[in-house]
This record gives sequence, C-alpha cells and structure tokens, in this order.
Amino acid sequence: MADDLPLLLGLLLVAAAGTAAVLVRDPVRQSFLLSLFGLALALVFLLLQAPDVALSQLAVGSALTPLMVLLSVRKVRRKARSERREEHE
Amino acid sequence: MSGWTAAAAALLLCGVAPAACGAATGPVRRRVPAQNLTTTLLSLVILLLAQGYGRPAYTDPALVLAVLGPAGTLLYVRLLADQLAAHPPRPRSLLAVTALSYTAVPAVVLPLCVATGPGRAMVKLLVIGVLLVLGSRVAARAVTAAVSAGHGRTGPAEGMSDG
Repeated sequence: MADDLPLLLGLLLVAAAGTAAVLVRDPVRQSFLLSLFGLALALVFLLLQAPDVALSQLAVGSALTPLMVLLSVRKVRRKARSERREEHE
Repeated sequence: MSGWTAAAAALLLCGVAPAACGAATGPVRRRVPAQNLTTTLLSLVILLLAQGYGRPAYTDPALVLAVLGPAGTLLYVRLLADQLAAHPPRPRSLLAVTALSYTAVPAVVLPLCVATGPGRAMVKLLVIGVLLVLGSRVAARAVTAAVSAGHGRTGPAEGMSDG
C-alpha cells in the first residue's frame, strides 16, 4: 500500500483536474486546467512504467493543448469584436 | 518504499498539489506564476521518483518538462498579455514564487547528485537543475516585461480613444 502512494496521489490529481476541466465553462480557465490535467496524466504514465508515453504526453499537455485553446479563443474574440464594430458603423 | 519515493510523494502532496490549486483557481495574475511553479516542482518530483525506482531513464521526462514548462508559461504570458497588464501580479508574490523555485531546485538536485556520484548521470542532473532555475527566471522576467509593456501600450491607446 505504501509503495502505491505516489500512484494514488497521481490518480487523485488526474481525477480532480479532469472533473474541474469539465465543470469550468470559461475556455481560458479551461486551458489552464487542461494543461494541469496533461501534467497529471504524464505523472501517472510515468508511475505506471511508461516513460515514453509520459514524454509525448508532456509535450502535448504542457504546451500544445493550451496553445490551441488560447489561439482559438483569441481568433473568436477578434472576429466578434470586428463584427460588432461593423454593426456600429 | 524508499526514502526517495517518500520524498517524491511528500513533494507531490505539499508542493505540486497547492501550486496546481493556485493555477486552477483565481485570477490570471496568480495562475500564470503558479503554472510555472507547478511544472518546476513536478519536474523535481520526477527526478526523485527516478532515483527512488532506480531507473536513470526516468530523468528524461524531467528534462523535457524543464524545457517545455517555461515554454508553456511564455505562451500564456504572450497570449494573455492584455489580462496580465490590466491586473498585474504583485511584485512581492512574483518574487516569492521565484524564490521558492530557486530554493527547491538545489534542495532536491544536490542530494540527488550526492547519491548518484560523479559521472554522466550527475552532469545530466546538474543540467536539469540549471534549466529549471533558468526557466523560472525567464518566466518571471517575461511576466514583468508583459506587465510593463502593457502599461506602456495602454497609456497612449486610452489617450487616443479619449481624443
């Protein structure tokens, strides 16, 4: 049981981050939670003796997912702003 | 359960979990430094686990995280620059976060170096430690630069809209 303590903590972290990412509605906040979720998943992969999977999960989770989400948010907001400006004119 | 694994579990519970909570809740000005602290501490946890399980190959994810963690923070700083400039983080708390990672990295890496003994593995550990310290420094400077640049930019822009 004591040997499994890091794995237990990692699984708890995954559960908490995953639940929070589902419950939060704001995409910017969700991007932070998704990156945390990715980090927790990478830790669990490492603890389950899969360091190669953990490597790729780290690359995707810590940089790529937030980049995609934040870029999309930025583009949508810019589009909405320009449309609003056109309506005013 | 070896002492190294116990130390990793303790750091995970007392270091990574609060930092992750800080990154998951609250305003953007707190989330960005907390996200950087989370990646730094998680990298240290991975190093401790590698020593605890006796598998030097497990240090590779720590090296990758030491490079990608600050990259992720820079990403947030770049794309959320306007929010950071509107509500800048307190310089004192930013300094505290940086100081915490500056103390945590040597406190973990130096005992690991002693346990590893001289050789290539020790050089790798030292490189990871240096990367972690540099990463927190770069992230803190990027946040400060974004805040000051935002102030410089919003000033004239507001003046123009008034005119």
